[in-house]
Amino acid sequence: MAAVDTTRPATRTAQPLPQILARSVERVPTGWTSWVTTTDHKKIGIMYLVLTFAFFLLGGVEALLMRVQLAVPENSFLDPSTYNALFTMHGTTMVFLFVVPILAGFGNYVVPLMIGARDMAFPKLNALSFWLLAAGGLVFYASLFFNPVEVGWFAYAPLSTGAYSPSGGVDAWIFLIHLTGISSLVGAINFYATITNMRAPGMGWGRLPLFVWTILVYSILLILALPVLAGAATLLLTDRHFGTAFFDPSQGGDALLWQHLFWFFGHPEVYIMVLPAFGIISEVLPVFARKPIFGYKAIAAATVVIAFLGLLVWAHHMFATPSPDVVLAFFMISSFLISVPTGVKIFNWVATLWRGTIEFKTPLLFGVGFISLFLVGGITGVFLAVFPVNWQLTDTYFVVAHFHYVLVGGSVFAIFAGIYYWFPKITGRMLSESIGRWSFAIMYVGFTVTFLVQHSAGMEGMPRRVYEYPDVGNLALWNMISTIGSFMLGIGVLVTVWNVTRSLKKGAHAGPDPWKANTLEWFTESPPPANNFDTVPRIRSVEPMKDIRRQVERQSPVEAPRPQPAPEHTVTA
Amino acid sequence: MEAAGALAHDHDHDDAGHHHGPPPANRSSRVDPQMLGMLLFIISEVMVFGAFFTAYFFIRVVQGAEWPAAGTELPVAIAGVNTAILLSSSLTLHWALVSIKNEDRNGFRAGILLTTLLGATFLFVQINEYVHVGFAPQDHAQGTIFYGLTGLHGAHVAIGLLLLLSVTIRAFRGHYSAKEHAGVEIPGIYWHFVDVMWIVVYATIYIL
Repeated sequence: MAAVDTTRPATRTAQPLPQILARSVERVPTGWTSWVTTTDHKKIGIMYLVLTFAFFLLGGVEALLMRVQLAVPENSFLDPSTYNALFTMHGTTMVFLFVVPILAGFGNYVVPLMIGARDMAFPKLNALSFWLLAAGGLVFYASLFFNPVEVGWFAYAPLSTGAYSPSGGVDAWIFLIHLTGISSLVGAINFYATITNMRAPGMGWGRLPLFVWTILVYSILLILALPVLAGAATLLLTDRHFGTAFFDPSQGGDALLWQHLFWFFGHPEVYIMVLPAFGIISEVLPVFARKPIFGYKAIAAATVVIAFLGLLVWAHHMFATPSPDVVLAFFMISSFLISVPTGVKIFNWVATLWRGTIEFKTPLLFGVGFISLFLVGGITGVFLAVFPVNWQLTDTYFVVAHFHYVLVGGSVFAIFAGIYYWFPKITGRMLSESIGRWSFAIMYVGFTVTFLVQHSAGMEGMPRRVYEYPDVGNLALWNMISTIGSFMLGIGVLVTVWNVTRSLKKGAHAGPDPWKANTLEWFTESPPPANNFDTVPRIRSVEPMKDIRRQVERQSPVEAPRPQPAPEHTVTA
Repeated sequence: MEAAGALAHDHDHDDAGHHHGPPPANRSSRVDPQMLGMLLFIISEVMVFGAFFTAYFFIRVVQGAEWPAAGTELPVAIAGVNTAILLSSSLTLHWALVSIKNEDRNGFRAGILLTTLLGATFLFVQINEYVHVGFAPQDHAQGTIFYGLTGLHGAHVAIGLLLLLSVTIRAFRGHYSAKEHAGVEIPGIYWHFVDVMWIVVYATIYIL
């Protein structure tokens, strides 16, 4: 597709006829080797998206198995150790193999296009990132055939040390941490270098698309947080196999060390998972509200402030550990502070929609769904940041409900908005609107049915990570509702999978800019040629495509439905 | 501005008829991407060391362990000499870099070879210290963190030596010049980082 000779008639312009530039026509490599050996950011991005979505489905199946087990009290569908393995694999998969890398996948595909670059700064390292991720997933899932890990996704010491978990599952988990960690770290360095070095002429920091801003901050957080987890996992590895005593109090070590190191990584990780989701929303809303984003600078600044504060709140995951009250109070207040920049963003998004000419397309629906669900998750987060409240609610389903509201209602809904928004760019085909709306409706209702009642279950004392529960209070009712909702949510996801597979062949042709969007990725063809752009325009605002459309409009006053400015055309100056 | 929006800003000097491939990439920063990548990588390395120093802090301050462990002694003087060896390798590396920037190939080769040898000496002395220090990482938490921190640093020295070795081999094959010396400068930054990190490790483990 990239090698097509591009001698199309030029756009009618007031100026002399544009010159036509032909790309060199070389045979485009095809077949599976073109994927395995590629260093093209678009192909790597697609591989990221496909692989991580496969892990999302796997993690979803694990969640559904757990919901079946919990549907009725004292169920014996699963045995306890299988259940332990399931919740560990579910959490680990969703965090390390789905949300973080799928955002890297979007970043890979879209960031170079958004900033008008040919590729990432280090294309080979980019391929390395992807294959390390695949290796990490492989190592981790291979443990299914031996002894799957049963210690929860945060692998607290001493449970994860050799004395209590001698099986190899924890080691598989550690290697997953190392492999995906190096993958993300290399990717983060790559993003940072790409964004600082390869922006189009005129694209200063104040004209950087907001998604690129969030990927930049995501990269910084990864660079700061991931190595700490890699270090902690290394300590755990030596404790398990070389008899060291980092986490062993009987020899002078400290088990709490693990929690501090883990959550020093773990809380920035929360923002690593949600900031690029914010970025997707900040791109989608203005396009479908047909209105510029409200408070561009405030949103970009709030991203940076959230990231900074996110590095200072880790111990709010550890309120139940013995710590001095002054420490608890510090982490409570710093956690409260985060709600300020987050609130700034929510208000900005609402103000973007306010009095806009809203087009209710699927990406917008997911975007608005995101705002409403993330808001609930943010508010319950404020509850949990109050440490006396936290003491009551820690390790209950209230916490489970809270973080699923921010991670599923937040990140996953934004990821789906991103899928619906960028699918036309990636494949050149539109996703079906009607199927997309069904998918959104089923997912939204399914999500709410699943997780809203989990707040109540948690308030009634339902503990997380326990494979069965007695028939007391309303627990049986809440859990049955939650299980029904989880299957709805699963069906909603499958509807999108169906939509994607059918639209690859049957979808309407998208053209370069089906949404009349704002950012530079819509300047090139869909799917973009291997070299992305033949010409890169000078950037004059946050919305370069709007500038270009206006300019084309000015130059072709007669034709109202003007053709999109394809990148092949250049006008002699 | 007018029509310029969709224009090729960089085709002006180009013969459009013979243009193949993408336009030359726009550079929006003065820092080389390679240099920037190395600096970011070093930041991540500092965070790895941070995790190990946190472990040190927990063992020595939170748990209040006796330092060094009862009945053991750390060879402060020998490690001090070793510190001097490692620090002087930073000086010789700088000499090598300045030489190649001035196209002084003999100075460059001498400097880079000396740097590699000094680094190897450091690692050799460190291993020798492990043999004679008289306790193992399994013995107690103090031993664990002693080997943990110095071992983590030693691994970085080893990686730095591999980089230096490849630079040395290339130097003797006549690579690099006054204009092309990023391949010396960027691994060099890593080596300086390893040196600076050793000062912190030495200060916390041996002196404090």
